[in-house]
This record gives sequence, structure tokens and C-alpha cells, in this order.
Amino acid sequence: MEALSKPVLVIGGGIAGIQASLDLADQGVHVYLVERSPSIGGKMARLDKTFPTLDCASCILTPKMVSVARHPNIELLTYSEVVEVRGSAGDFHVKVLKKPRYVDEDKCIGCGECISKCPSKVPDEFNLGMSNRKAIYFLFPQAVPLKATIDREHCLYFTKGICRVCERFCPTKAINFEQKPETLELNVASIIIATGYELMDPGLAPTYGYGRYLNVYTSLEFERLVSSTGPTGGEIMRRSDKKHPRSIAFIQCVCSRDVKINPNCSAFCCMASVKHAILAKEHLPEVDCTIFYMDLRAFGKGYQEFYNRAMREFGVRFIKAKPAKIEEDPETRDLIVTYEDTFEGIKKSMKFEMVVLAVGVKPVYPEALPLTVGEDGYIRLRNPYLEPISTTIDGVYVVGVAAGAKDIPDSVIQAGSAAIKASIIAGGVKA
Amino acid sequence: MSQDFEPRIVVFACNWCSYAALDLAGTSRMKYPPNFLVIRVMCSGRVDPQFILEAFRRGADGVLVAGCHPGDCHYIEGNIKALRRMTLLKKVLKEFGIEEERFRLEWISASEADKFVRVANEMLEEIKRLGPLRIEEAYQHG
Amino acid sequence: MSGEPRIGVYICHCGVNIAGSVNIKEVVEYVKNLPNVVEVRDYIFMCSAPGQEIIKEGIKKCGLNRVVVAACSPTMHEHTFRNVLAEAGLNPYLLEMVNIREQCSWVHSDNRQAATTKAKLLIKMAVAKASLLEPLKEITFKVNKNVLIIGGGVAGLSSARDLARKGFNVYLIEKKPVIGGNVARLGRLAHVELKGIDIVKELLHQVVDNPNIHILTNTELVSVGGSVGDFKVKLVKNPRYVNENCNLCSECVKVCPVEVSNEYEFGLSKRKAIYLPYRNAYPPIYVIDSENCTRCFECVKVCPTQAINLAEKPEEIEVEVGAIVIAAGHEPYEPLIGEFGYGVSSRVITLFQLERILDEDGPTKGRLEVNGVQPKDIVFITCVGSLNTTPNAYPYCSRMCCSSTIKNALIIKEKVPNANIYILHKDIRTYSRGDEQLYLKAGESLIRFARYREAPNVIVNPDESINVRFFEETIQEPVSIPADLVVLSVGMKPPRDIDKVRTIVKVGCGPEGFLREAHLKLRPVEAATDGVYLAGTVTGPKNIIESIEAGGAAASKVSTLLTREEVRIEPLIAVVNDEKCSGCLICVGICPYNAIKLRIQGDARVAEVDPALCKGCGACVASCPTGAMQQFGFKDNQLESQVLAAFTE
Repeated sequence: MEALSKPVLVIGGGIAGIQASLDLADQGVHVYLVERSPSIGGKMARLDKTFPTLDCASCILTPKMVSVARHPNIELLTYSEVVEVRGSAGDFHVKVLKKPRYVDEDKCIGCGECISKCPSKVPDEFNLGMSNRKAIYFLFPQAVPLKATIDREHCLYFTKGICRVCERFCPTKAINFEQKPETLELNVASIIIATGYELMDPGLAPTYGYGRYLNVYTSLEFERLVSSTGPTGGEIMRRSDKKHPRSIAFIQCVCSRDVKINPNCSAFCCMASVKHAILAKEHLPEVDCTIFYMDLRAFGKGYQEFYNRAMREFGVRFIKAKPAKIEEDPETRDLIVTYEDTFEGIKKSMKFEMVVLAVGVKPVYPEALPLTVGEDGYIRLRNPYLEPISTTIDGVYVVGVAAGAKDIPDSVIQAGSAAIKASIIAGGVKA
Repeated sequence: MSQDFEPRIVVFACNWCSYAALDLAGTSRMKYPPNFLVIRVMCSGRVDPQFILEAFRRGADGVLVAGCHPGDCHYIEGNIKALRRMTLLKKVLKEFGIEEERFRLEWISASEADKFVRVANEMLEEIKRLGPLRIEEAYQHG
Repeated sequence: MSGEPRIGVYICHCGVNIAGSVNIKEVVEYVKNLPNVVEVRDYIFMCSAPGQEIIKEGIKKCGLNRVVVAACSPTMHEHTFRNVLAEAGLNPYLLEMVNIREQCSWVHSDNRQAATTKAKLLIKMAVAKASLLEPLKEITFKVNKNVLIIGGGVAGLSSARDLARKGFNVYLIEKKPVIGGNVARLGRLAHVELKGIDIVKELLHQVVDNPNIHILTNTELVSVGGSVGDFKVKLVKNPRYVNENCNLCSECVKVCPVEVSNEYEFGLSKRKAIYLPYRNAYPPIYVIDSENCTRCFECVKVCPTQAINLAEKPEEIEVEVGAIVIAAGHEPYEPLIGEFGYGVSSRVITLFQLERILDEDGPTKGRLEVNGVQPKDIVFITCVGSLNTTPNAYPYCSRMCCSSTIKNALIIKEKVPNANIYILHKDIRTYSRGDEQLYLKAGESLIRFARYREAPNVIVNPDESINVRFFEETIQEPVSIPADLVVLSVGMKPPRDIDKVRTIVKVGCGPEGFLREAHLKLRPVEAATDGVYLAGTVTGPKNIIESIEAGGAAASKVSTLLTREEVRIEPLIAVVNDEKCSGCLICVGICPYNAIKLRIQGDARVAEVDPALCKGCGACVASCPTGAMQQFGFKDNQLESQVLAAFTE
């Protein structure tokens, strides 16, 4: 299939951006997919399993990532950022900054030889710092493209002028310390923003002690902890003593549905925590799981049934309360959760060996676009009903969590919806 | 009967309903006995009675043919054709002296993972009770 | 493919999904000794880019001519690995998948030894079949650029709009005489100064002038033949008895002697046998309900434009399309008589009836009135028909009702500021963007929320007053609230005749009857049947915005198909060996698709399969007495080899 139309720019290589790109490319539209990090995959690549089917996330995501890399109509620009956008619908002029990987992408064969030889260890951001990677690294083993990247901040050559071991061992002479940032100029008909989200800072809820108490985790950290490709190979163990916890509390609505910090509901955390509790039970059948929630928002297809299974089949305990605080037992590093029992109207405490905070999300946007943001912190839409993915700039669409917190299927649906609209503009017809 | 008799049972599963139900049993992390070996066909209507006789002759202790419910067949009525053939086959098996509990035709839709698990458990129990199929004897009968 | 089979076996760990219950090392050692196997490799994720590279490398380095991949279900990745073979220059049909995850490791995670043994046997069976695989050539068809959309609600309209703008020819059919579905009858929406009908009108405005769109109301699906890219569809357009000459003068209504309850106003008002379903209905043409019409001809006599023709007959229409979108929507759950007092007291209504009452275009012109009186104490009960609240209820959450309830409560507060409003709920699920703010506003507006677990009791007293009794979960006390209006926030259920549609189009459904997606997470708008797409609430509850988006997403998928010049279909079809065929033609009678014809070959007659019509069920193969009929990919010897391998040690 040949691309007969003008190209479209997709910003963000998470599941929403991937799906939008594939839908466009399959319609014969040329796509530039720009991703800030060294690999596409986004947050979904960090997930172990997905609710409510418990499909393994990599099993369903990696083939899509591979299709993106392989698609003749998609030009993948990883480790790149959009720095300037001018023009209007049908004729946007975009500048993209391609950051130097210090590795020639055409030469690198992804063998990982350099990585095994690199002496410099760095906290691994893919595992949220719970393990180490090298200064030359793949974002994760299934990264697309599977090309090594040198992290300049931590590379011994860049910091101290020594080493260059990677260069010596690279079988294809792909290492290039002289690589410079490169600016690409693109002319596109339409832009799809799929830049996703980041977690709110759990420090905004100081009474929960995240960062002070070793055994308090964020839900994304827990996701890596149960993942077979995670820092512990799927073993759920405590930071403090590497022991399996015998009890875990999951606290919902941390930094979300809180008028002081962030009033928005993050839409997927309830189900993510239900899933985490089930996975914890699968990994450690004896573990006691308790979910503290405000309203258990099991709204999607099969979600209520999944929630019911967690209660009945897996014996997960659900307590309707928003805990007031967490204290740490300095000796055992166990955690005491204090909450108001709404049934009895009295303050109660329970002790847990691990606590997982379902931290709310906030959207991330590219700075290069003059977008207006609403009171809720998300991009303003032209009309939430009639044009739910149209931003106030003609020809610019927003999908996925960047358009409002949502789960994977809804992100995929929005991506498709944006793809056809962008493809109409790309084909020269006014949407 | 020997306590550690582990029957081997062949399942012919149609691609659209029953094979999907078996997959669903997996994604729902249900448990069923490991004695069932699945052969995927597009439709239960593809299952030639010859395959079943062959399976018994080669040493199967049981055979299960699983298809879509009547009215749900992806190919309109392949399952009804299977039903006709399998009804005839049952008579033949009887003549060979193969107990009727060893062969079943079941309608299992894509959402009925639990039904497969139930059928599997029932079949296994019945076949364990019958013991291994003495095929030479059976075929001599015929 | 000539020469001895050279098979490569690739075993996936799937992280720990397989490796956690199957001893991969042991399996690898076992597989090495199987006949024709020249390479065995295992890897953590065979589907990932490096995993795929391992296979490609094996094909090239070891000169493989067959590949077996033992991993997840073929429904997941058969396609992926076929592409890998193709990229390595091997015919993609020389692949055999072994399902050692869904059908092995996951179901036997409690018995590592048994799971390992079963994995070995399954691979052995696949290796045996693989030895007999043949290269196959995909069948290609030209793609018809038309599309059929079933359902004229917002999801169907949104699909139609996007596809027509993209340049495809759209047939939009709607069974009812009116376009707009459930949304058309909603009053004011949350967050905007728009009503449901405004959404429909705007979508229609974007649709009706597009020459690519053909809207057919009163039209139903009769049959669908053919397959992806080339469906042959039969429709029937039921008579409306009134044509476009109608100028909505309403003279006919005045003379019509028949009065029945108006289903479009959920029974809140009456209509005649000739009627317009509701104000602003599209198309703006009266319709005659033939079930209730007495054929008195009064309307015909008075119609100034001669628009009425009682002799109109159903019309059969045939269209050819490349793709089908099912956007057949949902129906509101209808409470049983007596369920929460519904049908017992006229003061117990559903949320949709309330929407009509609060709508300026509705039966009370927007005045909150029941039996002519304005209620003051209003109790909403959510999860009616959902979350197993009553024995008759569905287990799922209908996702839009919480927000919709709160929105309506706020509208009541605007209209009747001193109203006492209670919302009885199980959980408030205002998950969608902006809806949490709505919930907060309700709290500020002194709308009171109370939680129940056991279904509340709606007691209709002899003097018509109502008490709602329930056990309040937060304060743990029984509560009784007097009410002069009870609103049941009903959920969604699949539309009545969805089974008929899905059987004709061949789409599966879940236990409650909503249609099943090809993949719940990543293919939410595709059906498992190629060329068929699903939009809106037909797959499960959604709010308006989500339905419109799903319509767009389905349009996008249709566009990916119709943009192509041709489609390829799997060549797993039947084929005749002329020499073996005795010409008995049993197969001709067996084939459900009339795909087999007689052909004269010299002085013999033989069966012949039309590859464009054959769907590959294999029923003819099983019925062939001579073994002349075979199915590619499922030949007798291939299936028998699997049986054999299961038992020979």
C-alpha cells in the first residue's frame, strides 16, 4: 500500500500512540511517531498483566510494537522530542530534536555485548529505580527499536573521560561518542497528541510516608515487583528485608479525588489494585490482601465480575475508608494504617507488612504546542460530546490518558477515532 | 484397577467456540486434569469418525469432540452434521465393545470454560473407573 | 516444498507464564530427539523482536523448511509468527503453533511434572503435523468500497460521518422509523448546554448532505453472504406508509381514531397510529404503525399533500459492501412490575422517563410533574438492573448511570431548589473526565447520598405516599425516607433482537448477550469475523462520548480494510483430488455455502470447490467416502499424524 497523502505526526509511543500510528499507516498514511524515551511501549510495557482477563501485557503489546517498527508507512523517531510547531491544519511545520544515543542505530544489532561490558551502574528508570541498569542500556529487553543508548549523565567517558569499553567490544562499530543532536523538519497535515501521563508525586500525601518508609510502594512499583521481567523476577519482597510480605494493604485515591491535591478520578487505579491483589494472591497464596477504597469503580466490561472474583474466589478484603495516616514500626518496618471505620464510626488501625499506594495521574503535554489547559489540568476540548478528541487547534487531536484518565481499551478506541480524523485531513478532506 | 492409571484423552475442539473456551479456562486460571490433548479443527463438522476410531486403536482411553451449540455454528450447521455422524459412530463403538462413556460429543461455547472443566472432570472419573481400553479385545469383538 | 522436512522448534517462556509451570530445559532436551527436528531454541518472549530474530536466524542458518512455535494460543500470535516466516522467505503456512500456555501451563500450574509431560506431547503432535505441512498460497479478493452500518444511534452516525468524509459509500440502516437511538431522547447533558437531540442533529447535519451516505430507516437485515471485502447483503425496508411529501401539518393525527401509549416517550404520553415519534425526530415524516392502524383511511382523506399510501409493501434491497459495522446499541433495562414499586405507583419512574420529563420537548414541556403535581421529596435508586441488585438484574455495571443520575439530580435542584433529593447507591462511579466534579457539585448542592447493599424496599402506601426503606451501610442503621417521586436509575441491556442480527452476521456474544470483541483490550471495535466491526453499546455499556469515539474507531478500522485494493484470506479451504473423486457429489449437499459444483472432466464428473465461496469448515471432507476431498491445513493425514503422535512413544 502506498502513502498517497500528506504525513501525520503522532507524539507519544504508548499504547494510544502505537494504535493511532498503526491505524493511520494501515490507511495508507505516512506517520512520524515521535517518542521521548529510547523505546516505544509507554506505561503498558511496564505492566505485568492486564485486567480483567489477566492477559500478559507484553504478550499483547510487543507484537504491536514490532508491527510499528516494521510498518513501511511508519517512521519511528525514538529518543526524540517535538520542539517547535508552526502552521495550521493540513500544513503544520514541525521541528523534532533527535537526541544523540551515541550509538549508530543503523549499525547496532541489539546484541547487548556493550551492556554486559559497561562498568557503570545506574538506577533503572524502567523499574522505577528498584534495580540497576548500565550507562549504556536498552530501556527494557523487548525495547523497540532494540538499539543501545548511552546515558551521558552516567557514562564514564562523558563524565570522567575514561573507559570507552563499549566501543571496544561493539562487534559492529556502532558506538559513536561524537554523535550530535539532530533537528528534523517535518511537514504534516495533522497532529495526534498521545503523550500519556505521569504519576502524581506521592510526597503530596505526606501522611502516607512514601519515600520515608521502605515498605510503602506506588502501584507502578508494585507492577514491576510482580512482573517476571521486573527487578525481582516476579518475587514480591519487601525493600527492608527481602522477605515475602504476609499482608499487603492497597490504598486507593492517593493524590486523586482529593480537592486539595487533585480532584480528578484516575479511572483505572481501582481495577489495577484489584488486579494487584489477585496477582499477589497468585504469587503468595497465604498473603492477606486488603483494599482501602472510597468507591470501587469497576465500570468496564468484565470489571465488576473481576471485582467479585477478587472478593469471593481470592478472599481479598475490601474496606471502605480513606486511611488518615501510615506509621512505621521502626523495628520490623511493618506499617500501621489508621483509618476511620465507617461502619462503627471509630478510628481503627491495622498492621501490614507492605503498603501499595494507588497514586493518581496527571497528564503530560508537549511544550511546543500552544494548547490551553482546562481547570481540571487536562487539555481543553472543542466540544466534549461532538468532538471529544479535538483540541482547540484545528487538526490537532488528543488521545489516551493525555485526554483524561482512562483504561487501555478506551485509549485504543480514542486512538482509532483520532486516526480516521487525521487521515481525512491527510487525504485533503476537511474533517 | 491400578491406582496410577492416567488415561490419555484426545479432544477435537472447533476453533470458534470450544477451542476458545479452552483458552478461556487458561486465561481464567481454572484447573482441569492434564490428561486431555487438544487437536484443533475449524469446525466439529470436520471431524471424521475415522479419526476417533484411529485414536482408540492407537491407545486413546477416551475421545471428546467439542463444538459450538446448535444455532451458534460459525459455519451454519457443521455441528449438526457432527451430531449425525457421531450418533452413528456411537453405535459402531458399541459394536466394537468400546464403552459409551469413553466417547462424548459436547457443545461448549466460547464463554463456557467452566463447562469444559466439568466435562473433563466427569470424563476422567468415568474412564478411570473403566480402566484402560483393551483395544485388541475391543476390535476383535467387532 | 521438496526434500526432507527440516523442522525448527521454538519454545517460549512467556516470562514465567509458561516457564513457571513447565520445565523448559526438560522439554528442549526431549524435543531435540523428535523426528525431523534440526533445531530447538527457547527464549523468554518469542513474540518480541529478538525472539522473532531467533526464528528468522534459525530458518536461514539451519535451512529450516517447517517451523513449530510452542507458546500461547494461536489466536494470539499465529499471525505474528506467520509473518516471521514470510519475512525469512518461508511460506507462512509452514508454521504450526503449540498452545502450551492457555491450554497447558496456566491450567496445570499446580502440577509441574504433568504440565511438562503434556507440553512435550503437544509439541510432539505438532512436530508430526508440521512434517506434513505444505506451502499454501493466500487467496485474494478485490475489496468493495461500500460499507453497511447497522444502527442509527450516535455510534452508527459517528461511524457513518467519518467514513463518508473519508470517501467511502455508506449504507446506514435503522430498524426504527427514526434516527438517533437512545441519545435523541435525552434531555440536557452534563458539562454543556446541549441536549441529546442536539448531538443527534449535529451528527445528522454532518451526515445528511454527504452524497456518500444513504440512510435507510424502517430497514432490517435479512441475510449476509460472501465474506470480508465482498459481502452480499439483503435488506428489507418496511413500509412507512407516508412519503417525503409529508409537511408535518398534523391533519392526519387529528383524525386518526387510534390512540396507543407512545413507546418513544417511555409510555409517559399517548400517540396516534399515525405519528411522529417525538419532536425533532429525523426524518421529519409521519409514520403509520401498521399493527395498530385500523385502515379507516381517514388520514388519507385529509392529507393535503397526498403523502399517505396504505398500500405500500415491504421492499427488498440488495447491497454489496466490503465491511459491516454493527452499531445496534442497547435498550434500557425495564424493571419488572413490582420491582421497586415500578408499575405499581405512577410515582416510581425510570431515569429515562425522568429525562423525558425534564426535557423541554418532552411530554410535560420540561416541568417536573407527576400526575400533574410537582414532587418535592425525590429518591433516586441506582444500580437497578445492574450489579445483581435484584434477582432479575444483570451482574455488570452500566457505567453511565451514576453520572447520569447526578446530572439529573442537579437539574432538578435548578428547577425545584427546595427539593429534597436522596441518591441511594452502592458506589458512586463517576470515573469519566469531569464527572467527579459533578459529584462534588452534587454534594455542595445538598443532594444527599446514602449507601445500600441489599436492595431498598419501595413501599407504596394505600394513600399513594411512598416510603423507601433500606439499611444504610455507612451509619449501619435502617432508614426510611418518605418520597413523592422515586427514580430508578436503570442500566443497559443488549437490544431485543440482537441475536437475530449477530446470527446473520456471525458474531459471538458474551453471557449477557453483548457482542464479543476480537480482543477485549486491544481490538475493542473488531469482531472475530473478518470484515465485521462493532461500535458503541452493542459490546457493552458506554456513555455518549465513548459511543461516539467507538464509532470513530470502528470507522478507522473499516478504512484500513477498504483502503486496500484487495484482501487476502487464509487458504485453509477445501480442495478436490480429481483422480480420487468418484463424482458421488455427497459433498455438494453437505456444503452450507453452495461452494461445490459439478464439473465434467472427460467422461467423468468430479466435484469442484469455488475458493471464493468456501469458508473452510471441512464438513465436506469428513463426508467424502473416497478421501478425494481434503482441507488445506487440516488434511486427513495431518490430523491423523497428530492422533498417532499422541500415543506412539
